[in-house]
Amino acid sequence: MVGPVLRAGAWPAVAGVSGVAVVVGGCGVAFPAAATALFPICFALLAAAAAFTLDEPASLVVDVTPTGPVRRTQIRAVALLAPLAAGALVMVAAAMRGLALPWASAGLALAGNVLLGFAAACVVRTRTGEPGAAVGTAVVLVLMAPSLVPQVARWVRTFPVPGADGPSSDPVWWIVLAVCVVAIATSVSRPRLRRARPLLAGSIWRRPA
Amino acid sequence: MTATLTFGPPATSPGRATFTALAARETRRLVLNPVFLFAVAFIVFVLWAGPDAGITEIDTSNPYPAIFLGGFGMMATYWLTRSMRASEPVVGVTPVTQPARTAALCAVALVPFACGCLALLRFVQLIPVSSPLYGPFSPSARVAVLVGQIVVPALGGPLLGVALGRWVRFPGAAFVLFLVLYGWVSLVTIVTMAYPDSALVAVLRLFAPFAFFTLHSDAGGVTAWRGSPWFFIGWQLALCAIAVLVALLRGAEGPVRSRIIRTLAIAGVAAVILLMLAATGGFTHAVTA
Repeated sequence: MVGPVLRAGAWPAVAGVSGVAVVVGGCGVAFPAAATALFPICFALLAAAAAFTLDEPASLVVDVTPTGPVRRTQIRAVALLAPLAAGALVMVAAAMRGLALPWASAGLALAGNVLLGFAAACVVRTRTGEPGAAVGTAVVLVLMAPSLVPQVARWVRTFPVPGADGPSSDPVWWIVLAVCVVAIATSVSRPRLRRARPLLAGSIWRRPA
Repeated sequence: MTATLTFGPPATSPGRATFTALAARETRRLVLNPVFLFAVAFIVFVLWAGPDAGITEIDTSNPYPAIFLGGFGMMATYWLTRSMRASEPVVGVTPVTQPARTAALCAVALVPFACGCLALLRFVQLIPVSSPLYGPFSPSARVAVLVGQIVVPALGGPLLGVALGRWVRFPGAAFVLFLVLYGWVSLVTIVTMAYPDSALVAVLRLFAPFAFFTLHSDAGGVTAWRGSPWFFIGWQLALCAIAVLVALLRGAEGPVRSRIIRTLAIAGVAAVILLMLAATGGFTHAVTA
């Protein structure tokens, strides 16, 4: 059961976007002056990678199998190890290079980014079989808002900056983590693809003999 | 009974009429795209509100059109292009060729380009070209800096989105490319702060669809980095041409294909030459005024 569900995952997308994130984070490690600009991009890409973990091209069939959404989501959550490992790799490399970052806050931001992408995918997965592209884009734009629009950074920060004035990112991520846990729990308890099911039932399963 | 058939030139060429109809339809789809609408709304708000009171140089407030009209426009046209993939088996058997449909998609870039032109006019109204915030550039070079940072990215981003949509299957390609470009521009700008006089770093800074040209100096005044803003516009326009040609190459056959490839090679050579001229022209070292 676990093997087929994992094999059907969008691994090229998850691994590919995580790989790009590692390259961007690696540039931040190589050029410490640019780390505070590149690490938020790296983490946003990891959030986008997490959004692809629930993509299921065969959702019309998979969603009517006896395996429930809770079990399928649990299995697919294993794929989150890829973006988490990629983020951890970048952070370890940055620590070895001697970058002075608030590591606890950065770790929290990494977990929050990845969980935010996954939670948003869980919510949208109840409507569509492949939420990755839309959720990835939305999550990236939300997470990058403080970088793209400096006025936003006066109110909300999504990445900890050492010694900077302004709000801390920790309260944001604690709230995001709590909301994400609730969103995941709520979304997996719903039946999948509520809009698609009647179409499937009417067009295939109830076709007259 | 006899019938008389009269032959004469049609009122309009059928190919042109089809192209116009397709372009109008794609343009309507773009202007209704929520991402593009959000980008335009944000630009309108930013330009209506005006720059911050404590602004020290233009580069703190002029990247918004590039990010929102160019970057978000790229995502919007990427989705516009990709959204036709599902109907390709049906659309593919119509008399209109894929390059003609791609050309119609490329035509929608005129909308963000027009928005970029309006943004430029409003920006010049807010910060006149004679302002010291532009640094030591000549008045014509100041206009070139603005055109290269506001107008041309608004044209090039959507064209890049069409090319990406024609060739890349991964549905998240647009936002990944947006972040990679944003990261690259951030990286080379920060490296330029450390090595402002390096020729190699200047080439790297200008090897992007968007580049900063000024920095507020800690000692006071505005520092202009090396490079020619006029040749940089040439490099950007060459990139636009390459994006269009790469997009048109998809589905092109026979002599059209070989003609596109030939033109692509010429555009590539022109882009390299213009990049070198952009990096070696203008100020040969950082100048503070």
